[in-house]
Amino acid sequence: MSLSPYDLQSNYGDVTPIDQDDGPSPIAPIAYSTEYSTAMSYFRALVRNNEMSKRALDLTSEIIKHNPAHYTVWNYRQQILFALNENLTAELDFIKRLARDNPKNYQLWYHRQVIVEKLSDCSNEVAFVNEVLDDDAKNYHAWSYRQWINTHFNLWDDELPFIDKLLNDDVRNNSAWNYRYFVVFHDPDVAEENLIESEINYTMEKIRQTPNNISPWNYLRGILEKSSRDIQELESFCKEFTDNDINSPHAMGWLVDIYGNRAKNGDEQAKEDAIKICESLANTHDTIRKAYWEYRKDELATPSS
Amino acid sequence: MASTDCNNENDALEDDPLTEDLLPTSNITFDKDKHVMYFKRCMAYLPEPYTNNDTNRMTLAFFGLGGLDLLNMIETIYSAEQREQWIDWIYAQQILPDKDNPGKLLNTLLRSNVPRLKFQSLRPWLELNRHICGFRGSPFSGLPYSREGCRESRFPFDAAHLAMTYTALCSLLILGDDFSRIDRGAIINGLTYLQKDDGSFTQTYHGMESDMRFLYCACAISYMLKDFSGINIEKCVDYIRRSQGYDYGIGQKPGLESHGGSTYCAISALSLLNKIDEGLISKDRTIFWLLSRQVSGFQGRANKPEDTCYSFWIGASLKPSFDLKILGAFDYIDKEANRLFLSTTQGRQGGFSKWPDLIPDIMHAYMGIAGLSLMDEPGMSTLDCALNISRKARQNLENSVFWQGD
Repeated sequence: MSLSPYDLQSNYGDVTPIDQDDGPSPIAPIAYSTEYSTAMSYFRALVRNNEMSKRALDLTSEIIKHNPAHYTVWNYRQQILFALNENLTAELDFIKRLARDNPKNYQLWYHRQVIVEKLSDCSNEVAFVNEVLDDDAKNYHAWSYRQWINTHFNLWDDELPFIDKLLNDDVRNNSAWNYRYFVVFHDPDVAEENLIESEINYTMEKIRQTPNNISPWNYLRGILEKSSRDIQELESFCKEFTDNDINSPHAMGWLVDIYGNRAKNGDEQAKEDAIKICESLANTHDTIRKAYWEYRKDELATPSS
Repeated sequence: MASTDCNNENDALEDDPLTEDLLPTSNITFDKDKHVMYFKRCMAYLPEPYTNNDTNRMTLAFFGLGGLDLLNMIETIYSAEQREQWIDWIYAQQILPDKDNPGKLLNTLLRSNVPRLKFQSLRPWLELNRHICGFRGSPFSGLPYSREGCRESRFPFDAAHLAMTYTALCSLLILGDDFSRIDRGAIINGLTYLQKDDGSFTQTYHGMESDMRFLYCACAISYMLKDFSGINIEKCVDYIRRSQGYDYGIGQKPGLESHGGSTYCAISALSLLNKIDEGLISKDRTIFWLLSRQVSGFQGRANKPEDTCYSFWIGASLKPSFDLKILGAFDYIDKEANRLFLSTTQGRQGGFSKWPDLIPDIMHAYMGIAGLSLMDEPGMSTLDCALNISRKARQNLENSVFWQGD
């Protein structure tokens, strides 16, 4: 739909449009297109009477085309859809088309959530999210929405294989790692021991593929803490990435923590080792955080009070 | 524009007061003049693509005014009359309590022994329009302009928006206003409708969105108006704690990936609530998460490209809130590398873009300037990080009616 003079005459002839009054000295005024300001003028008139009609619905489509972030228009649209008992499955298509050009628009995701909740049907949703993630596997809105689907419809079973696929495509996809944690621990009761064990092994394998990739390191640490294991257990694992040609700053950072803990308990050798690693991080392997590693080194060197 | 040619700068220093402060600390320079012109252009006219921010115009105005304020130029380029007119424009977006508001029945109920929950759902009817009080982002609802604000709004779907109220208050301070036309009671009462059971806030009364952004806005509004009675602080702190990831960054919601923007919102909210120690599970680890975001400039999430705005979001998270206990965590960043990155996203005609070689936009322009100001760039005002306003605007806050009254 577009607001051609013909449409205005035949569909909105009884409406007196209301223009925006921006006062004598508008602040940061926007050069609206004629289409947008016309549509908004009719919107102001219709919404004032809370008109629930097909033409009002069409008007919201037109405005959303120009301004998909117009939360008020979205709200109005929702009320009209429900009042007119519109086909909500068609609405899902409308959102899907819009998402192709505006995948990072907040409103369409929340709107979809309202519609899907009303439909009580999530059969299209995984495919919808996947289409968006195919394009941008780190789209924050898409992940947020997927978490809502999981929780709301209790959909968990296919998620780990899906994440495996994403991590095989891009092992640096931190969003996928975060989602993995969300899925593994979605049950408030602590995840099963053998699942933890297999997650640790899985992650260690991924780290061996890309030792400089911060995402699995963070994930591994998260898993250890959640299952109350001590990172000391992984000393020899960390050394795989510090003793050879490979020098992973993440492995080195872990060793600073591991040795630092021992140093606190009076282990002088550990203290020396930790200081040496801080120096190496500061001067060679993580120079952008030089000041931080020097601070850590000073902290180790200064006897704690 | 990234210039490595210092000779031209020296020539210009003689007679141009705008570049006087720009003695480069390295061979990277930021062209203050061009940034001033960029913001000035935006304040006068925003091109059509900004239409998708029509309802958020208040935030765009804040970025423009805030940028000019950090460049210390507000009073130089805008007359007192112009500033006064803009103050009026901002107040024109304030939705005030309806003059026919009964209020009495509600007050009786509030003071009675009737459990709050029992009449909670009736409040919008009892109060006519008090649930929508605060600031709109622009005059899109179609009411006639009035510098006094509007009392008659009972239109369906018209409502204040938390981010607009927050940026309206900031812009008023930047323009030198003292909040004397703010209806504090109405705004604080409005907040009570927006906090959800989980502690987060929705943006408007009819709002669908709720996350860390609006929790921050609610805290900043309460802080600036010196009244926290409209929010449940314990619930705020709990929400922030639950939104911390396994990497100790903070997401928009519990379970979501740690993100620079939401981490800033959470840390600043805690700082304004004076609850840093209660709210952060491990301060050290959160600092390390923040520092780990530096690539040259800063990224917003692990393994994402660096982006101008995170020089602010991450930098400002490191700077203010820790300055008592862990001195200057901000000083552990590599400032020179950050400056270098920002020099690559600086537009030829001023402003900053998200990434190099893109067209600048007003949000990234502000964030670029704010990111530089954090590093004490010469000629720029210092930033009050938790509120995201200049020290001068902060001074205006301390002189405002609600602060002077105490």
